[in-house]
Amino acid sequence: MKVDAPIVDRKFLERLERLTLHWQKSFPGLVGGHNRSRFSGSGLEFLDHRNFYQGDDLRAVNWRAFMRLEKMFLKMFQVEPRVPVRIMLDISKSMTTGEQSKFNYARRVAAALSFVGLVKLDLITIQPFSDHLEHSFLCGGGRHRFMPAAEFLTNLKPAGAGDFLKVAREFNHEYSQRGLLIIISDFLDERDCLKPLQYLSDFGHELMLVHVWAEEDRVPPWDGELALEDAETGSSLEISFDDKARKIYTEAFDEYAALLRRCALRNSGRYAGLPTSLPVEEAMFGPMVSMGGLE
Amino acid sequence: MFFLNLGLGEFLTIFSAISASVVALYLLDRSRRRQTVATLKFWKPADMPSQVQQRKRITQPWSMLLQILGILFLLLALAGVRIGQQSTGATRDHVLILDSSAWMGARLAQRGTLLDEARTQARAWLKTIPSTDRVMVVRADAVASPVTRFESNRSVIERAIRETQPGASALNLGEALRFARQTGGGGEIVLATAGRIAPGDIPSPLPANLRVLSITGPYSNVGLHKVGLLRSITDPDAWEIFVTAKNYGPEIKNVTLALQFAGTPVGSRQFSLKPMSEQEATFVFKTRAAGLVEARLLSSGDSFPQDDRASFELPNQRQLRVTIYSAEPALLKPLLASNPNVAAVFLPPAAYGAPQPEKAERPDIVILDRFAPPTPPQQDSIWIEPPALQSPVPVAGTYAKVKITSWTNDSVLGAGLHTHDLELDSAIGFRTAPGDIAVAIIDAAPVIVARPGKHKTIVMGFHPERSRVKYELAAPLLFANILRWIAPESFLRWQLTGGNVGTVNVKLEPKTDPTQVRVLGGDGGAIPYTIDGDNLRFYSSSPGTVRVLTGEREAVYSLTVPEVGDILWQVPTTVRRGVPRRTPIENVARDIWYWLALAGLGCLLAEWLMYGKHRAKLRASVIARPTPMFARKAS
Repeated sequence: MKVDAPIVDRKFLERLERLTLHWQKSFPGLVGGHNRSRFSGSGLEFLDHRNFYQGDDLRAVNWRAFMRLEKMFLKMFQVEPRVPVRIMLDISKSMTTGEQSKFNYARRVAAALSFVGLVKLDLITIQPFSDHLEHSFLCGGGRHRFMPAAEFLTNLKPAGAGDFLKVAREFNHEYSQRGLLIIISDFLDERDCLKPLQYLSDFGHELMLVHVWAEEDRVPPWDGELALEDAETGSSLEISFDDKARKIYTEAFDEYAALLRRCALRNSGRYAGLPTSLPVEEAMFGPMVSMGGLE
Repeated sequence: MFFLNLGLGEFLTIFSAISASVVALYLLDRSRRRQTVATLKFWKPADMPSQVQQRKRITQPWSMLLQILGILFLLLALAGVRIGQQSTGATRDHVLILDSSAWMGARLAQRGTLLDEARTQARAWLKTIPSTDRVMVVRADAVASPVTRFESNRSVIERAIRETQPGASALNLGEALRFARQTGGGGEIVLATAGRIAPGDIPSPLPANLRVLSITGPYSNVGLHKVGLLRSITDPDAWEIFVTAKNYGPEIKNVTLALQFAGTPVGSRQFSLKPMSEQEATFVFKTRAAGLVEARLLSSGDSFPQDDRASFELPNQRQLRVTIYSAEPALLKPLLASNPNVAAVFLPPAAYGAPQPEKAERPDIVILDRFAPPTPPQQDSIWIEPPALQSPVPVAGTYAKVKITSWTNDSVLGAGLHTHDLELDSAIGFRTAPGDIAVAIIDAAPVIVARPGKHKTIVMGFHPERSRVKYELAAPLLFANILRWIAPESFLRWQLTGGNVGTVNVKLEPKTDPTQVRVLGGDGGAIPYTIDGDNLRFYSSSPGTVRVLTGEREAVYSLTVPEVGDILWQVPTTVRRGVPRRTPIENVARDIWYWLALAGLGCLLAEWLMYGKHRAKLRASVIARPTPMFARKAS
């Protein structure tokens, strides 16, 4: 599914520049985006000189000093080991249901979070998934890297059925370095989602759950005799639906959302429930800020 | 109410059955809305019914009520329910008879013609009947002609009324009412008439459903009733003209009758006509020329001038030109001079073929008396005792002391010739060819032979004035027959009759051959006629000239005088009269089927919008902004 309009407009991006991704955990071997490292490495800021040894990178030789002293010195830069920010975006077919597409909504949220991270020079990995991990997109180094990320998000297409457990295993295998893990999904896997989330948290990631739902997902508007079909599995169910059944359904949905929230909070994570009727702009400066994921 | 010929009870039965079906279908509805959802995990609580086998109660009563109401309104629309009362409750067929007789063209003082008033009243009556009633418009003068079928389209009826014009004949009321009765319409027979009819035309009994729209207007009228022109028997140049004027009104009228020929006055008469009486005037004037004769009533001062004038076109009187080449002209002069229609010129045989003066007209017939010209004549000819070798008909022989044994009776040549003891001292017999007519026959051979063709030829084997025949009546009769056979148009008896348009009765001469009778219109086309004994009858619906040919007689009927009824019909008091009072609006049955149809469709549309396809959107809009689930806890 490709959207014709820009995934986020310029005015919204200007407002997003004020925000910062925030996490609570201290990850081993890494510092946060606001704490500088004293280790030399492949950074951008100059740290010191040392003598050149065979095998060193010639691109780091200080040629001006060589011209003046006829000795080769190697420039050393300050390393910047930042906390990796990974955005897992659900592209399963369940995200396509609803009067307002959850998939588009989720892409816009992912784009907004990516921009926030890029502005603060965070390293962002966008990882789409359904029943397995799709090709990811890595970006970092500033706001000018946002356009490729937006284009990547624009070109995503919904496919497949969700399988959180399998995806969690693949993720832990793929990304061994711990970091901030933002999961944008409707969490409507046929199987249990809480266990994979707990598995990811136990592995060391800090979870930020962005729960996206359509209004029909929470309060079905239909009445009478319904023949329901699961968008992912194709299984069907015939049911007689009325106000009483609707109330039962909504209570079950709210209970499930509460479980997700408790799961996130129990593991020092964050949880934000975003109905698609809520504009993304309001969501970013409302629920996302209030839950502590953005500052 | 009308619904497929069903009554109210039957209609209610149908409605009840359909409504019951709707309710049953509603309760037994097993159709399900197909919906794709993100997951089925929340749709399976134990206390949520997975499937309802059968509804026990009506969960959406307004939906079902709207459906039933929609069906009820649509059925009522189909039933054609009307608001108000209708006398019979069914569509009626009326017959509107518009009097289109000649008298309806009479002018009123300020309101146009009588027919204009009739049209106005007819339209007023038309507005009083229900819109669904059908009307047949019939124009009635001498015959009743339907203009429309039973028509409910008011514009068609209005146009038929508007296009009705006065005719030229009188109203035949009996036939018009008889026609209206035969149409079988269950409504009224409405007659818009001024009531001028013939005395014997009073219908009885009148139809019970008759309504008369009486058109009152002028009653007095003086007009030409009959005009006749006849060539004088004694003087072929003279015309005898008979003109009859009639006073149709209740007062004495003094009028002047003037006669003109080709615009020149040829006579006048003063009439003092008593009420309902007529007078005849005779004029005689001589002319051989053709021209237009016009009879005109002056100072009649009535409002119906159409019958104050009659005109006729006189034919010219042409004489038959006969040139006789004879050495003894005195012999034939008595035979030819006695006929005023013949102009005879006697010349010696030596003059045959000599140049004629420039102004001399070519003869119609040439008579060759014992003389054979060197070149055959280029016109009709009569040969008397031709030389044997130069006879146009081969000579069989010359016979003496013979008697004429028979005359032809197959043509006009033998008309009136019956003598059988006519003895001839000497006669030439001829050998006839196929097609020749043996006019007079002796035992051995025919002695007078007629040969038809482009140029008719008569060959006589004896001289009618040199034999004993000259003492017989057969001689002039034979010669007259010969001339009439050769040039019948010169001996036609002309008679012109001016009359009224309509049915014309012609008295035929006794023993007239019906096969010789022809009735021709002004354009030469044949007009249907009937012959009953000696009475010929034909009908002409429009003014014009009609020629009746019966052998040698031609009667010309100049039907230019409009026919006016003699009496004024007094409408019986038992007959309904005038335009009925217009039915009050609240009592007029008005169609409301379209409103019912709209209401029915509106109900079904409302039900569909509220409970049908769009209800999901409506409900979604109502719950667009649910209360945040964790708003309270988060704060």
